[in-house]
Amino acid sequence: MSSNPVLEAIRTRRVVRALTDEPVGRAQLEDILKAGRWAPSGGNRRLHRYVAVHDPLTLRLLRMVSPGMLQKPQAIVLICIDWQRVGAYGLSSTSTGLYVDVGTAAQTMLLAAHSLGLASGIVTSFPKAGVRAVLNLPAQLSPELFVCLGHAAPGGPAPMRTWGKITWQSLVDWERFPGTPSAAPEPAQAESERL
Amino acid sequence: MPEKLVLTEDEALELLSFLVMAARTMVGEPNEYAPLRLLTAAGRLSDFIVERVTPETRVLLSGPLKQIPQTATRMADADGYAKQLDAVCAAVAQHLVRHFGLERGIR
Repeated sequence: MSSNPVLEAIRTRRVVRALTDEPVGRAQLEDILKAGRWAPSGGNRRLHRYVAVHDPLTLRLLRMVSPGMLQKPQAIVLICIDWQRVGAYGLSSTSTGLYVDVGTAAQTMLLAAHSLGLASGIVTSFPKAGVRAVLNLPAQLSPELFVCLGHAAPGGPAPMRTWGKITWQSLVDWERFPGTPSAAPEPAQAESERL
Repeated sequence: MPEKLVLTEDEALELLSFLVMAARTMVGEPNEYAPLRLLTAAGRLSDFIVERVTPETRVLLSGPLKQIPQTATRMADADGYAKQLDAVCAAVAQHLVRHFGLERGIR
């Protein structure tokens, strides 16, 4: 138990895939969206749009087109990249920062939801064409990530398991690596190694 | 033909949508997600029909088919995961034999 409420919120947040039928209030949803406004954004460019959904039928259809959505959310925030604004800034479509900012917005909203007593989880396994059709998204917006929201129900699927126990130390190296510098992989090799 | 329908049009559409959408997402997802998606589809089909099937089929749906957690993949324990799937496959096949009367020689 930490006396630091921010660290405690980071430590206790979980992906929750079992949700009750209790709706998420409009005020709570707006608080989460307001938090998203404060997420770090490369160059403070704000090249993303958030689409908030809490209409039950729309939520149902979004779940039908999202194989990764095991939960039945009572509200959703869809984080989109606004490619019109990306182009206006002269950024490349392969700029990785665009996707970093999707993550920072998502994590900020997840923590905001947790602080409000809501359960949450992210979903990225959906075909963009399906989500685009359900939400009638404008062409310049690409749907990237759902922040699913609701109230936790007892039970539900266990978390995804990892290969081994994860500690903060297992994720960290300190300072400069020893030994002879190794050559960076060629791009083609690096691509194949991702799989 | 079956004696009765066990799936409404809405439910069938939901399942059809899941399968089509999963076909697309699988193009870019890790291979280990493939069985997970298929089991999710089987789970949803099971949830839709469980109240309308025979008591014997209901036992299958609420028992062996529920044994594998929805988020399980082969990543943490590939052999154990395969064994779990084998057990479910055997249970489904054994139920087919009984349901369709193969043991009784019904053709």
